[in-house]
Amino acid sequence: MTTSSTAAIAHLADAPVEDRLAAAISIVAQQFPDRVAIVSQAGSQDRRTIDYAAIADRIVTLERQLDAMRPIGIVARAKQIESLVVIAAACGRQHVPVAFLVEDSRDLVGELREWITLDDSLELSCDANSARPCSVFDSVAAQIVVATSGTSGPPKLIEHSWDSLLASSRLAEQWHGLGWLLVYDAARWAGLQVWLQALLTGGQLVQPASRDPDTVARAIVEEHIAILPATPTLLRRLITSADRSTLARLTFDRITLGGEAADGQLLSQAHELFPAAKITQVYATTELGEVFRVSDGLAGFPAAWLNRTLPGGAKLSMRRDGELLVQLSRDTTEVATGDLIERRGNRYEFSGRRSDVIVVGGAKVFPRRAEELLRGVLGIADARVYGLPSAITGELVAAEVIISEPLPAGQSPESIRAAALAACRMGLEPQSVPRILDIVKKIATNPAGKIPRRPTV
Amino acid sequence: MSLSDSIADAIRTVLHDTGRDRKVIEPSMLLSSDLGFDSLDIAQAIVLLERSLGIDPFRTPLAGSARPSIRTVADLIAIYSTAIASQ
Repeated sequence: MTTSSTAAIAHLADAPVEDRLAAAISIVAQQFPDRVAIVSQAGSQDRRTIDYAAIADRIVTLERQLDAMRPIGIVARAKQIESLVVIAAACGRQHVPVAFLVEDSRDLVGELREWITLDDSLELSCDANSARPCSVFDSVAAQIVVATSGTSGPPKLIEHSWDSLLASSRLAEQWHGLGWLLVYDAARWAGLQVWLQALLTGGQLVQPASRDPDTVARAIVEEHIAILPATPTLLRRLITSADRSTLARLTFDRITLGGEAADGQLLSQAHELFPAAKITQVYATTELGEVFRVSDGLAGFPAAWLNRTLPGGAKLSMRRDGELLVQLSRDTTEVATGDLIERRGNRYEFSGRRSDVIVVGGAKVFPRRAEELLRGVLGIADARVYGLPSAITGELVAAEVIISEPLPAGQSPESIRAAALAACRMGLEPQSVPRILDIVKKIATNPAGKIPRRPTV
Repeated sequence: MSLSDSIADAIRTVLHDTGRDRKVIEPSMLLSSDLGFDSLDIAQAIVLLERSLGIDPFRTPLAGSARPSIRTVADLIAIYSTAIASQ
């Protein structure tokens, strides 16, 4: 990056917030028209790239259409990441609200029936009936609409402003021109945060061809990724399942974990494997945006943070039943997060999502505890604990484990399975011990990159 | 494998997985006092049988019938036998 473009990007903070994405892309496109903005299908033979100049052109073209038609809102239903970028940037600068919907939130389109759907063609329909009077933002209207991941219930639409969408973006020079890996769905909150940050700062956004650990590892090496934002589940899968020789070549400046709680074991493994990386855990939800981040390498957050206003203005508290409550600022109401926390020494650690709780014969079981215990068994690389429906006990605890390769000396899959069950019987309440324990090659993740807590088909 | 063998196999797996000795399983055995089965053990056996037999008679009981009693191994055999016959 040249000094002039660096300065221009740093000064984006002075531009109206809804203009920033289009402005940043335009600045980089003028200075470095050939600079690659997005690499898709990375790690595969279908790899393709698109540069900043091409994206900037498409933004201008779409802005002309938006200006002519003034739709009440745009539903972005594009599959390609560059289309989502163009739609977001053009809608922002043209003050047209935009909704990002993904496959599992398609049913919500009806709630936005007066909005115009835009796909990868980036052509607004010429149907005069879909045009509505100009709807410029005001303090009430949504500027950005995002669907929740549906981790703990049906997906729902959440309204945000450009201010809240970009609240966590960093424009300082240290963030400029870096390679970012996008393993999240680009149309969900976490994915939006990654590509906005990458493209606001002239970086290169890299989308691997799949979440297969070898493909992800290859993409990281080949595209010189500096920043890895991922869920703990995706990082764990990379560490445990990627090809050893490729894994040894991975280096990062930063690893940013979010979407789920990271356990101490994963954090230590990551520190050991990637000693140069700053590892940060971000606590954020689609509804609240980013609440806080922790970078001390330990699970959970310092106990002293509870009932105190944090530097960002948020205040954390705990309901009597252990649920974490968040008040973003003095002017906002307290929100129940659905995350359960418990005190361990001078930390509060996450024991699980309220919706993850498996109820066995009336007793609550937290799957994370059994998962952590299973992952500590020699010969087990990864584990997923979930609830199976049962007519006798309501639910029954079940687990899937991946066996390490190569097998530890003298061990067989059956002996490891027996050791795992014995460890669970020793360390857990009887109802928490997995009654079904399957050895699998791969552990499923949901579209948000998290562990599903109910049976997967 | 016969139905009785499948049920005996599921019971032995439950005993093995919970660190108890596998036994010779007889139809007349009482699940609780002879085999030491509790509700979790029965729930596990039902999941194992659903996998091996493809049916869970307790999840979709026959219309109009109360939940059958499961006291003995023979009770289990009878319940699965009825469920398979009505498929």
